[in-house]
Amino acid sequence: MSIYYYLSAFLFCLGLLGTILKKDLISMLLCLELMMGGVGLLFVLFSRSTGLIDSQLVVIFMMIISACEVAIGLSLIIALFRKKQTIYTDDIKIITE
Amino acid sequence: MAADILLTILTVVFALMVVFSKRTVVAAFSLLMTLLVIGMIYFQLGTVFLSAVQVLVNAGAIAILFVFVMMLIDVEQFTNNRERNKWKLIASTITVLILLGVFAIVINNNIESLSAVNLSDNSMKTLFAKLFDVYYLPFELATMLLLAAIVACVVLATHDKHQSEEELIEAHNVEEKQ
Repeated sequence: MSIYYYLSAFLFCLGLLGTILKKDLISMLLCLELMMGGVGLLFVLFSRSTGLIDSQLVVIFMMIISACEVAIGLSLIIALFRKKQTIYTDDIKIITE
Repeated sequence: MAADILLTILTVVFALMVVFSKRTVVAAFSLLMTLLVIGMIYFQLGTVFLSAVQVLVNAGAIAILFVFVMMLIDVEQFTNNRERNKWKLIASTITVLILLGVFAIVINNNIESLSAVNLSDNSMKTLFAKLFDVYYLPFELATMLLLAAIVACVVLATHDKHQSEEELIEAHNVEEKQ
């Protein structure tokens, strides 16, 4: 089971790297989901190592929050695409335009 | 132990494909597979309900939502040959590797205390008894958050009808002048 701890750390770091490196907003959101997956795995592992069921409830709340985050993020991308015809972060320099 | 290693390798491969694939659609489907394999890991760890919710909500709904949005804005029209900043790549890779090293050291030092114990009562009944007894306030707040997210999505993604009508009238006026 201990290999999963390293896996969750790896997933978090890989998601962070992708969020920094990627240039389009959709790929950045995908990498954020990867980070969420890593943290969720860590909470389930805590539930197994402490024997408490509370950590599993935290994972349920985390799924709710990640669903909200993705929905609002994607609708923001659609609104931005309608206005600017782009999804690249380089092209969106002034936010108040 | 063999299943542990197999699931870990699968997750690592799909996660690498999310970050390093050139096409965004491939990345989205790799994310779907990653979340699916994480659901399998939940199942193997004995948290069956979370495994089902992970497959239904995260893999089934969220990853498919990404693909829908890609179809809406036709993501393939953007060629992915933007110039990459070499120093940014090197600096962020080194930073993330250091972070991963710190995580690995922390896990390595505490690995004895992190071994699995038997969950005293792992049934769904206990889970939901606790959810509606101890955590009822966060649960209600979560429902409010979902409601706010629905309203925000509708407001943000709805096409501004008046604005497009004004643009049409303007374009019509320009044509008439010509």
